[in-house]
Amino acid sequence: MGISELSITEASKKLQAGEITAVDLARACLEEIKKKNKSLNAYLEVFNDVLEQARVADERRAKGESHPLLGIPLAIKDNILIEGRHASAASKILEGYVASYDATVIKKLKEAGAVFMGRTNMDEFAMGGSNENSAFGPVKNPHDESRVPGGSSGGSAAAVASHMALGALGTETGGSVREPASFCGLVGVKPTYGGISRSGIMAMAASLNQCGVFGKTVEDAELIYETIRGKDPLDSQSIDPGFYPEPQVKKKIGVPRALIAQGVDAGVLERFEQALSTLRGSGYEVVDVELPSAPLTLPIYYVIVPAEVSTDLARFDGVRYGLSHKGASQWEDYAISRAEGFGPEVRRRIMLGTYVLSSGYYDAYYGKAIAARELLTREVSKVLETVDAIATPTAPSPAPKLGEKSDPLSVYLLDIFTATANLTLHPAISVPMGTVEREGKHLPVGIQFTAAHGDEEALFNIGKQIGGNMH
Amino acid sequence: MISREEVDTLAELARLKLTDEEASGLQKDISNILDYVGQVSMQSGQGSTLTQDSPRSNLRNVMRADLPRADGDPLAGKREALLAALPKREGDYAVVRKIIQKDE
Repeated sequence: MGISELSITEASKKLQAGEITAVDLARACLEEIKKKNKSLNAYLEVFNDVLEQARVADERRAKGESHPLLGIPLAIKDNILIEGRHASAASKILEGYVASYDATVIKKLKEAGAVFMGRTNMDEFAMGGSNENSAFGPVKNPHDESRVPGGSSGGSAAAVASHMALGALGTETGGSVREPASFCGLVGVKPTYGGISRSGIMAMAASLNQCGVFGKTVEDAELIYETIRGKDPLDSQSIDPGFYPEPQVKKKIGVPRALIAQGVDAGVLERFEQALSTLRGSGYEVVDVELPSAPLTLPIYYVIVPAEVSTDLARFDGVRYGLSHKGASQWEDYAISRAEGFGPEVRRRIMLGTYVLSSGYYDAYYGKAIAARELLTREVSKVLETVDAIATPTAPSPAPKLGEKSDPLSVYLLDIFTATANLTLHPAISVPMGTVEREGKHLPVGIQFTAAHGDEEALFNIGKQIGGNMH
Repeated sequence: MISREEVDTLAELARLKLTDEEASGLQKDISNILDYVGQVSMQSGQGSTLTQDSPRSNLRNVMRADLPRADGDPLAGKREALLAALPKREGDYAVVRKIIQKDE
C-alpha cells in the first residue's frame, strides 16, 4: 500500500514519528495525479508549488509544530478562494480570475500547515448532483469510470477516493458533499448552518450554503471540521461551538420509513438495514419516525435555491471580474457576458429564480416555499428531540452512469434525502455502508445521519460505529 | 406551460441573451420544473397555520459596523488586488459604459 492511501490520522502519526515526511506524502499524491487525473478530471489545476508547501511543512515540524494536519495533502474545491491562485467555480465567467484574499477556512488550514494539492472540478457554481455541469468537462467516478462521482463537489470526492489527496474541502447547498461522498465511498460532513465560516467561498444560495469536508474515515472528517469550524467576524451567520444547547444522548436512531418506502434501490435498502443492525449491536435503539412534510423537500428546495441563485449570481456582470464582452448596449454588455460565461444549468436556474421572484408569482412560489421550509424545520427539530439522529440512505441509488440523467428534474431527485438538512440547517453526515454490485463493479453507497442543531458530535459518534474505511 | 413572451421577459430581467433555440428549450424546462415545485403552493397551506409571515424562530438580523478595514484584518490592504480583477481598468477606476446618453 502506498502512503497516499493512508488515512489522515495514520499519516499524521507517521509524520510525527519521523517515519515519513510531508514531501514524501506530497510526492505520493502527485504520482497518483500523474497516473489518474487525466482520465478522472478531478483537478482543474494542480498547484506548481506543492513540493515547496510540503517542504515548508516539514520545516515547521522540525521547529516543533505538530498540528495533525501539518503536512497533510488536501484538495480544495474550485469555489473556495486561495489568495493569489485562480478560482473559477468551474465556470467560464470567471476565466482568468485570481483570488484577492484567503477564505477563512483556507487561512485556518494554512495555520495548521496543510498542503494544498490543487483546485478541484465541480458542477458550475455548485449547481448539480453529478458533476456533469462543469464548464471543463465531467469528473469520473474512481470506482467505475463510466459513472459520475456525484456533485457538486465531485472533483474533491474523486481526488480523495483515488488517493490524489488525503482529504478535501467541498461545499454544500443540497447534498453536494454527502452525495458524492456516498457515490465515492467517503465520509462527507455538512455542518450545522453557520458551523464553518463561508468568507471567501462563492455564494450560490446563501441561506443554504455551507462548507463541508471529505475524509476517508469519520476521524479524518472530524479532524478537518474541528480545524476550520467556529465563528468568524467575516461571516455574520457563522456560530461558535455552544451556540445551541447541548442535547442529551438518547441512544436512539429514528428512521422515516414512509419516506424511504418508495424509489430506493433494493441493494441500497439492504445495506441500509445491515447498517441499522450494526447500530443495534452497538446499543442503539432504532425507532420509526414520521416526517410528513419531507416529500415537499425538493419542491421547496427548487423554489428557494433558484430564487437565491438569481440574486447571488447578479454580481457576475462582466464589469467586476472575469469574462467581459461588449455588445450594442449596456444591457447587451451584461447579457452577452452572462449568456456566454454561464453554462446551461446556471442559466436555467437564474431564469427559474427570476420567475418565482417576479411580481404576481412571488406569493405563490417563494412565499409558500419559505412557509413550508419553516414547517419542515420544526418537524425535523421535533423528531430530533426524541432521537439522537435520523437515518436514511444518503442517495436513493449508487452512482448513475455519465449522461444517464439528462433531464434536469431527474438529477434533482438524487438530492431527495440530503436537501432536507440544508433547508432545516441541521448538521448531517454520510458514512460508507458497503457496496452494491452493478455490471461486475462494486459501487459504494452511504448512510446519512442528521442530528440536532449544533450536535455534530452525535454524527461523529454514530458514524464511527458504521464507518469502515473503504480505501 | 409558460409563454414564449414570458421567457423573453425573464431573460431581459435576468440579463441573459438567449438564442431562439435555448429560449424554447427553457420554455419547456421551466414549465416542467414549475409543475413539480407547484406542490409547494398546493400543499403547504393545508393543515398548517404557518404563513410566510410566521416568524422564523432561529433567525435574527446581524449587523456589522460600517468601518474601514483595520490593520491586521484579513481583508485590509486588498485594494490593488481587487482593482487588478477588473476586466477593464484605467488607473484606479473601473471602465464602464456611459450610462446617460441621448436617445438614438
